[in-house]
Amino acid sequence: MIKFFADIHKYKNYIAYAARAELKSEVANSFLNWVWWVLEPLCFMAIYALVFSFFFKSKIENLTAFIFLGITMWEFFNKMLKSCVKLVRGNKAIVSKVYVPKYILVLVKLFVNLFKTAISFIIVALLMIIHKVPLSWNILWFIPICISFVLFTFGLSLVVMHFGVYIEDMANVLNIVLRLWFYATGIFYNLADKLTGAVGYWLVRLNPAATYISGARDALLYARCPNLMWLGIWTVVSLLITLAGITLIRKNENSYVKVI
Amino acid sequence: MNAIHIENLHVRYRELTVSSIKRSLLRGGIKNSRYTHALKGISLDVEQGEILGIIGKNGSGKSTMLNTMAGIFAPDSGVIDLGGRSVALLALGVGFQGKMSGRENIILSGLLMGFSEKYVREKMPEIIEFSELGVFIDKPVNTYSKGMYSKLAFSITAFLETEIILIDEVFSVGDEHFKKKSFAKMKELISDKNRTVMIVSHSLSTLRKLCTKMLWLHEGEVRMMGDTQEVLDAYEQNM
Repeated sequence: MIKFFADIHKYKNYIAYAARAELKSEVANSFLNWVWWVLEPLCFMAIYALVFSFFFKSKIENLTAFIFLGITMWEFFNKMLKSCVKLVRGNKAIVSKVYVPKYILVLVKLFVNLFKTAISFIIVALLMIIHKVPLSWNILWFIPICISFVLFTFGLSLVVMHFGVYIEDMANVLNIVLRLWFYATGIFYNLADKLTGAVGYWLVRLNPAATYISGARDALLYARCPNLMWLGIWTVVSLLITLAGITLIRKNENSYVKVI
Repeated sequence: MNAIHIENLHVRYRELTVSSIKRSLLRGGIKNSRYTHALKGISLDVEQGEILGIIGKNGSGKSTMLNTMAGIFAPDSGVIDLGGRSVALLALGVGFQGKMSGRENIILSGLLMGFSEKYVREKMPEIIEFSELGVFIDKPVNTYSKGMYSKLAFSITAFLETEIILIDEVFSVGDEHFKKKSFAKMKELISDKNRTVMIVSHSLSTLRKLCTKMLWLHEGEVRMMGDTQEVLDAYEQNM
């Protein structure tokens, strides 16, 4: 663990520069690219809002903000996992020529995606203003939720990156799992409403993505206190996953080069 | 003064076959992995300013040794003591991020090699001039030809000078003109009295000209180490 923080300190300039350069190269390749960071989730939100308010007669309050917040958080999680499964292979040129602790690569991706997500959150804030969402002190819960959610995503990304090196069809499996997970998280419907009874009750709690997203909705949109016990539990689990991921990578990173 | 001290160095790697879930479901079970013992207890010392050539058959552990010293693999056991000296591995096709410009890649490589951004920026004009890339330096590396790619890679390692340089089969790159220029630069780098160099090569004539000492690796063990001419003569007879 000490080495992990020492590495972060040692490579902080690299992380910062690499993340900046990656964002810049995305913008440079197509002038409209950064517009897409905003436009893509906005369009998805519009589609879901349309479908669910017209066809399914959804009764959710502040539907657009509800969906957009869910999509923003889900996309962050989704993009991190999908990019990390191919991360070592994708960076083959670097990995096989110079030593870099492999979790540094995940951190670069993390900052790239955090930046894009931050832009989306500006829109969340705008939607909250448009909907005239009543604010309360509960909004502050959003900060620990974010921290814990980022930690959870980071930890899982580390694990996924490790197995992505050795298992070549990991990406296919991950895609299927993520699709199922997406529907089990309730991005455009309220899980607790759709699945009444024990199934819905436990799904919101045992699915960390649902815990985080519904927690964020409670804090930002409905001036409610999120489910603190389950947030606490998932924070502890996230810490354990991150620790396991770091250990796993530390033990195996030297043989990655041999496989790719 | 010793620049490099290696003691009882062992490197093993698992013969990891990339598995797939589909395949292991169909066949049932994942094959047990075996170990390849690439380096079996290497011990040696290299003095500062020395140029050590490494020879040996393919698969004798030469590249593994350089990679381990550069930190790309960790040794399974044993000690590598470089006394805190900075080290760079020069191998064909140094890693670049394709989507980023040459200029950005210079900084990224420099940061990965442990230099500060300020230092790399100071060296930037020299690197760009030597690489002869001209306007391409601001274009994404993906658009480079193979020659341009290796010119840039060579220039970075040649100008971001480290105290220890590990060279894997690269002496000169690019077209005829650049080959001469890069060979001259390489010679200049190597002959610096403060710099320690290890060279892996199959070109015995080049090694004969450049090296002050020679190491012969055979199946992961030191077969012979000592005077350049002696070791090379013995090696040639053995071939």
